[in-house]
Amino acid sequence: MKDMIHGSGDVHAAARMYARECTEGKLSRREFLTRATALGVAVPTAYGLLGLAAPEAQAQTPMMGGTLRMQMSIKAQRDPRTWDWSELANACRGWLEYLVDYQRDGTLTPVLLESWEASEDAKTYTLHIRPGVKWNNGDDLTAAHIAHNFERWCDASVEGNSMATRMGSLVEDGAVRAGGLEVVDDLTLRVNLAQPDIALMVSIADYPAAVVHPAFTGDDPVANPIGTGPYLPTSYEPGIGATVVRNADHTWWNEGNGAWLDQIEFVDLGTDPAAWIAAAEAGEIDLNYQAQGDIIDIFDAIGMPRSEAVTAATIAVRFNQDSEPYNNRDVRRALQMAVNNAIVLELGYNDLGTVAENHHVCPIHPEYAQLPALSVDGAAARAAVEAAGLGDYEFELISIDEPWQAETCDAVAAQVRDAGINIARTILPGATFWNDWTKYPWSATEWNMRPLGVQVLNLAYRSGVPWNETAFSNAEFDGLLDQANGIADADARRTVMQRLEEIMQEEGVMIQPYWRSIFRNARPDVHGAEMHPTFVVDYVNYWKS
Amino acid sequence: MLLFLLRRIGVMFVTALCLTLVVFYLTNLPAKLETLAKTQAGSRMTDEEVARWIDRNGYGSPVLVRYGEWLGVLPGWVREADDGTVTGRCVALRDDPAAAGTRCGLLQGEWGFSTRFRDEVASVIGARLGATGLLMMWVLIVMVPMALLVGVLAGMREGSRTDRTLSTFAIATTATPEYVSGVLFIALLASSTVGLSPLLVSWGWIDGPVLFQGNARSALDTITLSNFTLPVLTIALYGMGYVARITRASMTEVMTQQYIRTARLKGVSFANIVLKHALRNALIAPFTVIMLQIPWLLNGVVISEVLFSYPGFGWTLYEAAVNNDIELLLASSVVAVIVVLVTQLMSDIGYVYLNPRIRIS
Amino acid sequence: MEPLSWLEILARAAQQLLPVWIALVVTFALSIRFKRKLGLYGKLFDSNVGMIGFAIVMFWLFTAFFADLIITHDPLAQVSRMRNVVPGTPLPRPDALYPYYLFGGDSLARDVFSRMVMGAREVLRIAPFAAMISFMIGISLGLPAGYFGGKLDTGLTFLANLVLAFPVILLFFLLVAPEIQDTLIPVVMAGVLFLVPILFATVLLNSRFFTQPAKRNLYVGIILVIGVWAYAGLVFDADPSGLWSMSPNLLNVFVAVVFVNAPTVFRIVRGITLDIKTRDYVAAAQTRGEGPWYIMLWEILPNARGPLIVDFCLRIGYTTILLGTLGFFGLGVSPESPDWGSTINAGRRLLTVYPHPALVPALSLMSLVLGLNLLADGLREESLKD
Repeated sequence: MKDMIHGSGDVHAAARMYARECTEGKLSRREFLTRATALGVAVPTAYGLLGLAAPEAQAQTPMMGGTLRMQMSIKAQRDPRTWDWSELANACRGWLEYLVDYQRDGTLTPVLLESWEASEDAKTYTLHIRPGVKWNNGDDLTAAHIAHNFERWCDASVEGNSMATRMGSLVEDGAVRAGGLEVVDDLTLRVNLAQPDIALMVSIADYPAAVVHPAFTGDDPVANPIGTGPYLPTSYEPGIGATVVRNADHTWWNEGNGAWLDQIEFVDLGTDPAAWIAAAEAGEIDLNYQAQGDIIDIFDAIGMPRSEAVTAATIAVRFNQDSEPYNNRDVRRALQMAVNNAIVLELGYNDLGTVAENHHVCPIHPEYAQLPALSVDGAAARAAVEAAGLGDYEFELISIDEPWQAETCDAVAAQVRDAGINIARTILPGATFWNDWTKYPWSATEWNMRPLGVQVLNLAYRSGVPWNETAFSNAEFDGLLDQANGIADADARRTVMQRLEEIMQEEGVMIQPYWRSIFRNARPDVHGAEMHPTFVVDYVNYWKS
Repeated sequence: MLLFLLRRIGVMFVTALCLTLVVFYLTNLPAKLETLAKTQAGSRMTDEEVARWIDRNGYGSPVLVRYGEWLGVLPGWVREADDGTVTGRCVALRDDPAAAGTRCGLLQGEWGFSTRFRDEVASVIGARLGATGLLMMWVLIVMVPMALLVGVLAGMREGSRTDRTLSTFAIATTATPEYVSGVLFIALLASSTVGLSPLLVSWGWIDGPVLFQGNARSALDTITLSNFTLPVLTIALYGMGYVARITRASMTEVMTQQYIRTARLKGVSFANIVLKHALRNALIAPFTVIMLQIPWLLNGVVISEVLFSYPGFGWTLYEAAVNNDIELLLASSVVAVIVVLVTQLMSDIGYVYLNPRIRIS
Repeated sequence: MEPLSWLEILARAAQQLLPVWIALVVTFALSIRFKRKLGLYGKLFDSNVGMIGFAIVMFWLFTAFFADLIITHDPLAQVSRMRNVVPGTPLPRPDALYPYYLFGGDSLARDVFSRMVMGAREVLRIAPFAAMISFMIGISLGLPAGYFGGKLDTGLTFLANLVLAFPVILLFFLLVAPEIQDTLIPVVMAGVLFLVPILFATVLLNSRFFTQPAKRNLYVGIILVIGVWAYAGLVFDADPSGLWSMSPNLLNVFVAVVFVNAPTVFRIVRGITLDIKTRDYVAAAQTRGEGPWYIMLWEILPNARGPLIVDFCLRIGYTTILLGTLGFFGLGVSPESPDWGSTINAGRRLLTVYPHPALVPALSLMSLVLGLNLLADGLREESLKD
C-alpha cells in the first residue's frame, strides 16, 4: 500500500482530532479506527496517528495448499445487489471483490480501491482505483467499471435492490442523480452526493456491494463468474453445498498475500445445529459459519475452539405503533418496564453479549451517548397496563423459529408474565415470518450490525422508510436525524445522538434487550477464520496448517 | 387382467390430476406467492416490489390458467419488457426466446424449474430419487428379513415366552416414531460426549471419535457402515414392528390349519413343518403388507433424511415445502402418487400370484 | 442444598404423582371386583397385556387430569441459573417454590418434570378428540358406502384413496402453514368435518326413536342444541359463553390430523360393513322393513365394535405420533406449549450434551403409545374369544 498520498497534510482534519481524543482516552481505539478509516485514512496511517504500528495480519507464515470444509447454508444465487443473506456474498468472495473491506478490528481496508478521500462536508468522495487489477477474463479494471457498479447499485427499479437504500442521496428518481458520478480519469472516480453522507464508504463495504463486470447481466454470479479474485466456483447446489477452487489461469492483483487454500468446500447442513454437531463429530467439517448459545460450548467440547466478535448486531422486540394496543405509548412503556434486559440476555442468549438500552445505538458506535440506566418495575408495569384498560388483555409476541430469537422472546414473555400481564407467544417458520415482518403488532426482528449509529436509525426508525417496522413517526426525531447525518465529527454528533436516544426511550419504541456477541468454532489447524462482526467469510485469507 | 391393469392406470391418472390441482391451488394462494417472492428476491421487499415481482415472473394470471400452463394444455405466459426483451415460461425453460408462447408443460415433458435449487425439476428429482432409492433398498434389506424372522419365530408357538417377548418388542418398535428413535440413536451411538462412543474410545475399540456418524451427508459420495447405519435403522425399526405383527398373525393362523396338524401327527419334525409347510402360506399376507408399507415409509424417509441431512427425495420434499417451491412440490406429489398406486397394484398382483385360490375376473 | 440422588428423585416424583396412584388403585380394585359385569371392558382384566396397557394409558390419563396437583413449578416459568441443569438440582433461591427441579431444567430454565406432566394434558386434550371425530366421519361415510355400494361407494372410495395418496407430511406443510390460517380453508374444512358428528348423532337417534316422536324430538333436540353450540364455538369462534373455543392454530392442526385419519377409518368401516351386511340378522332386519340407517347404525355398527375399538386405541397412539411429527417440523401447536412433540424437537438440539430435556418427553410419548398399542392388543385378544 502506498502511504505517500497520505502525507500528514492529506489526513482529514477530523481524523487528527479523533486521534487526539483517542490518546486522551475519550475514544476507544476501535471507534477511532472506524471513524478515521471511513474518512479515507489508510490503516497504517491511522495507527500511526496514535503512534502505533499496524498489527501484523498473521503472526505465523501461512501455508499454501489444503482443502477447507465449512458448514454454511448455500442459498439460490441471485444478482449481488439484491443479496439479503451474508452467505450469498460469502460464497462468491473468492472471485467477486469489493472496493473496500470492513475488517474485524473496525477498520476499512482498500481492496479494489487504492485509496479514497472525503471532502470536509462529506458530500464529495474521490475514489482512486487500484492500478493493475485484472478481471479473470483478461480485461483491466477501470473507473468506468466502478461507475457502472454505482449505477447498478442506484437502480431502484430492481426489486429487492438493497443497495439503492444504502446509496442514499446519490439516488434520485430511482437512478443515479445527474452529475452524481464523474469519471475523472481511467483510475479516478468522483462521487457527488446531494446531502452529506458519512456512511457512504461503510455502505460500499457491505456485502451486497460486490463489484461485478459490466458484462454481468443475469442474476447468477456463479453461472457467470467474471471477477477479479483468485478463485472460481466449480459447483454450487443450493441446500447441498458449493465448491470453490483456486483459478490457475488468472493473475490476481494481490498474488502472494492470500489465496492460500487450494479448495474450499461449503457444506449446507440445514438450519438444525444438531446436524452440524453430528457432522463435526464425524469429522466432516473444519469450521462452522456461526454457532449460538449452548451449541458453542458443544463445539468447544469436541475440539473446535470458539472465536468471538463483539458486534452491534441485536434483536429488536419492537411494537408496531399503528396497531392496537401498541398505539398507546403508556402500554409500550409499561411492557418495557416489565422486562429486565439483563435477565433476557442471560436466559435468551446465554449471557453472550452486552445489555442494551432500548434505543438501538450501541456502545461500539462512535457517536454513542451514555444515558441513565433503565428502571425495571413489574408492579408499575402491571398498574400501567391496567390503567390503560388492558388488565385482562392477552398480548401476543411473535417471533421467527430461529432458536436464539425464539428463546429471547420466550424470556421476554416469561418476564411480562411474571409482572402479572397476560401474554401468549407465536412462532412462525422462517419462510413465512418475513411476509409481514413490518406489520406484526408485536414481534422480534434480528438486526445486523452497521458500523455507524445513524445507519440503523436511518434505515428503520425514520418516518415512512420501507424498513420502518415500528411505524414510528416523529418529526423531531427525523429532523435531528437529518442533522446528525451531516455531522462528520462524531463528538458533535453525539449531542444530537443523545437526544435521539432519549426520544427512542421516551416513545417506548421497542424492547431491545442486548447486543449480541457472535461466535464461530473452528478446528485448531484452521487459521485466519476468526468470527467477523458482519459475518464476512473472507476465505481468500484463510489457511490450514 | 389387462382390463384390470388399464383401469388401475386410469385411476392413477385421475388421482394424480386431482392431487396436483389441490397442491397447485394451495401453493398458489396469494400469501404463498408473497412468500415465494420474498425468498426469491429479498426477504425485506416492500409490498409494491412484491406485486411487481409476481407480475414480472408470470404468477399474476389466474390459478387455473397457470395450472393449464404447467400441464401443457395452455401456452406458457409471455411478457415483453419495455426494452423489447421477451421473457416467458417457455423462454426460461427452453433457453430460447423463439419458444415464447408455445406450450411447455408436463405433456411436453417439461417438469418445470425449481426455484429452491435453481435447476430443472426433472434433474433435481431424478438425482434425489436415486439417493432415496439406495436408502430404501438398505431399509428393505434390513427391515424385511428382521420383521419376517421376528414374526415367524413369535407365531410358531403362540403364547410361548418367545412369542410374548418378541411381540412386545414388535409393539414397542411401532410405538417409537422415527423422530424419537433417531434422536435416541444419535444420543446413544453418535455423540462423542455421551452414550456408547466415549466408552468405546476409552476402551480403544474404535478409532474415530464416534461409533456411527450422526450425519449422512457423506453417504452421497460413498455409502459406509458408519454413515448409513443410523438413517437406515431409524426408518427400518418403525416399519418393522408392523410387518412383524402381521407375519405373526398370519403364522399363528397357518399353524392351526388342518394340514399342519396332519403333518405333525405324521411325525414330521417341527423345523420341517415350519420351513416346508407353513412358511409359504404364512408369507402371503406379509408380502402385501410390505408393499403397502413402502409409501407409508415415506413419512419416515422425510423425517430421517431431514434429521441426518441426507439429500434424498424426502429431504427435497421438505425443502420444497418449506420454500414453497411450487413446481418441485408438484413433481414430488406426482412421484408420491405413482409410488403409492404402483405399490398397491404390485401388492394386489402379488397377492393373486402367491395365492392360487384367487383369480381376478 | 445438595442435588438429589436418583433414588430420591424417583421417590419425590412418585410422591408428586400420589393422586395418580390413588386413582389407579381405585380404578383397578373396582374394575377387577366387578369385571364379570363390565362386558368387554371387564374381560380386559383377564389379559396381562391388556392390563399393563390399560394401566399405562390410565396413568397418563390421570396425570393429565390431576396435572394441576402434580406439577412442582409453572411449566412456562423460567428460573434464573437453572438452564439445562441435571435432574435433582436444587433451586438457588427457592422462596415459596418447590426446592428442586426433579427431572432437571430445559434450555430455557423451565422445569422438565412439570412440562412433562402438562404435556400429557396437551397431548390427551387433542389426540383422543381428534381420533373420535375421525371415527365419526369414517363411520358416517363408511357405513353407507359399504351398505349401498354403487356410485356412492366408488366416489367415496376414490376420495379416500386420493387423500391417502398424499404424503402425510406434504399435506401437513400445505394445511398447517401459517398462510393458510389467514384464508377460509381451515374454517371451511372444519365446518364440513365438524358437521358430520352432529349429523351422525342426529341420524343415530332419529333412526332409533322415530316411532316415538316425543322421545325422538327431545333427544334430537338436545343433540342439536349442544351440537350447534359447540359447532359455532369451535368452527367460527362464535360461542358467547366461551366454553367452546379453539385458537386458529389449534383448529388448523386439528383439521389436518382429522383429515389424515378419517379416510383410513372409512376404509376399515367400509370393509367391515361389506362383510357384515351379508349376515342373516341384517337380512332379518331388512325383511322386518327397517330403514337403511337403522340397519347400519343399530344392526351393523354394534357388531363391528370389536375391531373398531381396537383400531380406536391404535389411532389415538398414531394421532399422538402425528402431533409429534408436526412439532418436529415446527408446525405444531403454540410454541411455548409443553406438548411432547415440540419439546422433543426443542431438546434435540442439545441432545448430545444435555439429553434429559428431550429424553423425558420422548420416553413419555413412547410409553403412552406403547400403552395404547398394548391395550389394543389386549382388547383384540379378548374380543376374539367371543
